[in-house]
Amino acid sequence: MKDIVRTWLESGRIDLFLGYRLVDGHPIPHCFSKERLEEVEQLTESLARYPLEKIAHQMLQKDPAVRIGLMARDCTQRSVRVLAAWNQIDMDRIRVLTMSCCPSDAKDKAFCSYLQEPETGPVRKSNGMPSTGDPDDCRVLPAEERLRRWLYEFQKCIKCYGCRDICPVCFCKDCGLEHEDLMDKGVVPPEVPLFHLIRAVHMAGRCVDCGLCEEACPVGIPLRLLYRKVNGIVTDRFGYRVGQTKDQSPFNVLGEFSPLELSSLDD
Amino acid sequence: MDCRLVPSVCSYCGTGCGVLFSVIDGTLVGTYPIKTHPVNEGSLCIKGWNLHEHITSPKRLRNPMIRRNGQLQPVSWDEAIQEAASRLRTVVEEHGPDSVGVLTSAKITNEENYLAQKLARTVIGTNNVDHCARL
Amino acid sequence: MTNSLADMDRSECLFVIGSNTTETHPMIAKRILRAVERGAALIVADPRHIQLARFATVAVRHRPGTDVALLCGLMHLIVRNNWHDQDYIRQRTEGFSSFERVLQNYPPERVAQITGVAVEDLVRMAEIYATRSPAAIYYAMGITQHTTGVDNVKACANLAMLCGNVGIPGGGVNPLRGQNNVQGACDMGGLPNVLPGYQPVGDEQVRSRFEEVWGTRPPGQMGKTIPEMIQGMQEGRIRALYVIGENPRGSEPHLRHLDSALEKLDLLIVQDIFATPTAQKADVVFAASAVAEKDGTFTNTERRCLRVRKAVDPPGEALEDWRILCRLADALGAPQNFEKPEDIFEEIRRVTPSYAGMTYARLGIDGLQWPCRTEDDPGTPILHVGSFARGRGIFHPVAHKEPAECPDDAYPFILSTGRMFAHYHTGTMTRASTHLDREQHTAYVEIHPKDAQTLSIEDGDQVRVSTRRGAVALEARVTNRVRPGMLFMPFHFQEAAANILTNPAADPVAKIPEYKACAAAIEKIMGGETAQERSV
Repeated sequence: MKDIVRTWLESGRIDLFLGYRLVDGHPIPHCFSKERLEEVEQLTESLARYPLEKIAHQMLQKDPAVRIGLMARDCTQRSVRVLAAWNQIDMDRIRVLTMSCCPSDAKDKAFCSYLQEPETGPVRKSNGMPSTGDPDDCRVLPAEERLRRWLYEFQKCIKCYGCRDICPVCFCKDCGLEHEDLMDKGVVPPEVPLFHLIRAVHMAGRCVDCGLCEEACPVGIPLRLLYRKVNGIVTDRFGYRVGQTKDQSPFNVLGEFSPLELSSLDD
Repeated sequence: MDCRLVPSVCSYCGTGCGVLFSVIDGTLVGTYPIKTHPVNEGSLCIKGWNLHEHITSPKRLRNPMIRRNGQLQPVSWDEAIQEAASRLRTVVEEHGPDSVGVLTSAKITNEENYLAQKLARTVIGTNNVDHCARL
Repeated sequence: MTNSLADMDRSECLFVIGSNTTETHPMIAKRILRAVERGAALIVADPRHIQLARFATVAVRHRPGTDVALLCGLMHLIVRNNWHDQDYIRQRTEGFSSFERVLQNYPPERVAQITGVAVEDLVRMAEIYATRSPAAIYYAMGITQHTTGVDNVKACANLAMLCGNVGIPGGGVNPLRGQNNVQGACDMGGLPNVLPGYQPVGDEQVRSRFEEVWGTRPPGQMGKTIPEMIQGMQEGRIRALYVIGENPRGSEPHLRHLDSALEKLDLLIVQDIFATPTAQKADVVFAASAVAEKDGTFTNTERRCLRVRKAVDPPGEALEDWRILCRLADALGAPQNFEKPEDIFEEIRRVTPSYAGMTYARLGIDGLQWPCRTEDDPGTPILHVGSFARGRGIFHPVAHKEPAECPDDAYPFILSTGRMFAHYHTGTMTRASTHLDREQHTAYVEIHPKDAQTLSIEDGDQVRVSTRRGAVALEARVTNRVRPGMLFMPFHFQEAAANILTNPAADPVAKIPEYKACAAAIEKIMGGETAQERSV
């Protein structure tokens, strides 16, 4: 891995490489460069995940000509494709170095903090949503029970906006969550369930299922589950799978006419 | 282009959350939680996530100032320090060291607090040192 | 805090009193909610219906200023039911028998009358706190900002000792510090009575030790607290004030009184990162540095000393605060030979035993919790293990007293002030932040729907809130978060500054002003006046 990064930097295929290095024992994102090539020796994989692609996006906004290498998990690659599909970045400016992440028998190791068991306890079990992250696990609960549990989860929200702020594919200049006409401001929890449903709708067809939002959530709202659910609807209705290809775009997925009928969305 | 991520600590409340400042070409552009920090374990509140915004605010003071003809006017550091020192000295000479009060700060670092109370106690010569712990 | 944040994962009961934790210490609230979901009991006592109350096993809304009565009522019930830890009391404390006699004055019926909390809630609180061990108490300014602040704290400590909860994992008496480095400012001797490491200024030996390192003997006479300095300014005994990183014109009670004191100064020096209302009154302003612009350390609420690191330069000509202090000392003829903050830290270690074992290298990112006396000392996550700092813990008898100012016909409401989640203190930092300002742009006062109806006030109406000290105009927020008869105002908004209203009456020992309870009146503004209207 270090050799590849060194070669890329030396040969000029990239100008900068975003990876990790240890600072006082903590994996911290670091930008490696040709000028400080000796630092590449410190390059490390990291169990802790930071939105490197969001940092790269910010760098490209400052200098669209810079070429950036990224230490990338599967989810990083999906969000790079989504950012490209939404014309936020030029794919040609990004070169990814894949790292082992999601577990598979074909791999030696899996580097993802998400593989840690979610914390659970008796109160969470009786009031919260199932923490498996699988929308099907929730369907066994009656609709009323699901509603009760979601309302419990949303009432915990302290309105940090961390779900949005860490999201690698949240890039809107004006955010609906901060729109005065949509949302009462200055109170916690934010309007239940409106705040979270507005974001969920926005994540439909956008969310790359990286789970960074859920990791950043101070109060353990199962956001990944929520966005999986809405993304599932988009996949079912339109056959659009977020971040899978470059060809399908959110701009053409609906075709010329929208097949949306309100009556068919009652589940 | 240069991009750096610098570990630090949030300066709002007393929790002491670990933050990463994201700096692109010498400009502070963002704040992230340190994922592995013992205090906040990868989360922040609304203030923490926006920590960089007050630092880059255009309202920041950029120059020392002295009041002249009733108005605060930008001056050099030498002028500001000299003005403060000579007027402090006058007050101490005329009214004694206990006529000076120093309010140190719950916002600045330990090192700076240490220096501030040391200045009050050894250079001015008073224990009139306090800060807003009560507020 | 006697205990650590990580310790919350071990508590079986968390008692939160006078802390709106999800708004003022959200990352501590994170741990409280995690403990609740794990199965720990949560008791919440706050005059307002705060967010945490939704997740509590028992939540009560006591009348502002009745914390001592509430806590004594709980202890009365605990002793009456033999729920107290008699072994712990015998082995580790003193003064219990006289204390127990005072508790007899707090039968639940009387306490219910004083606090407005139902007897059955008192019984449940007492039983849960006493029987779910280990139990931890968390409090913030809701406990301290009263004329009975010290008594409130003593009552918390009594309760914890009564049930054997001090000096054990998952227990403790845990004040949540409000400012990023208020702990460190105290540790470093930013107080009139102690040198770094809480070493008394009156102690000859202590002063000799400092003289060895400093080359100058520090004065032995106790200095003045802020309220005493303000009084001294009024009387012409304080002639010069050097204010670093503070905005007393936004935070001190009774602004008019402070302003007339500032007028009398020969010299006001203000060192800040913004042109705060205080800086605008200054004779000399030093442009200082924010957190990302310097190296150094902060010490958090759990006594954890953490390194802050420089990421960018201060704007324009602004300087790091430590450089300004060095230059000023130099100009006053006492050069300080420090090239970087680490050099200063090394001197701190020499004179502060509780920091002696810390080095920048050891602190790393995780930091170390004091006391940390030697370089192989891992630090101290829990204080008072085995014995108290002074040997035995003392039960201090305390008695309920009403706030200095109670509602009457002219000022029928109790006004309480505090923080809201998007802003911080006097707002100089948060209101300069785009996103935070957008979240809450205007000043507001919370009023209960019943009171609002009586006064024909609707949500969003402009109202005038007044006390014996002044009046401000701002927006009404009609909400059942407050009790009937109570008003709540965040103090972040200079255009409707809460400290025009608040009562400077302070705790006789700690000198903390009574920000949480004063008498106030509220009326709807009928046309013609604007929100910016001020009484000063």
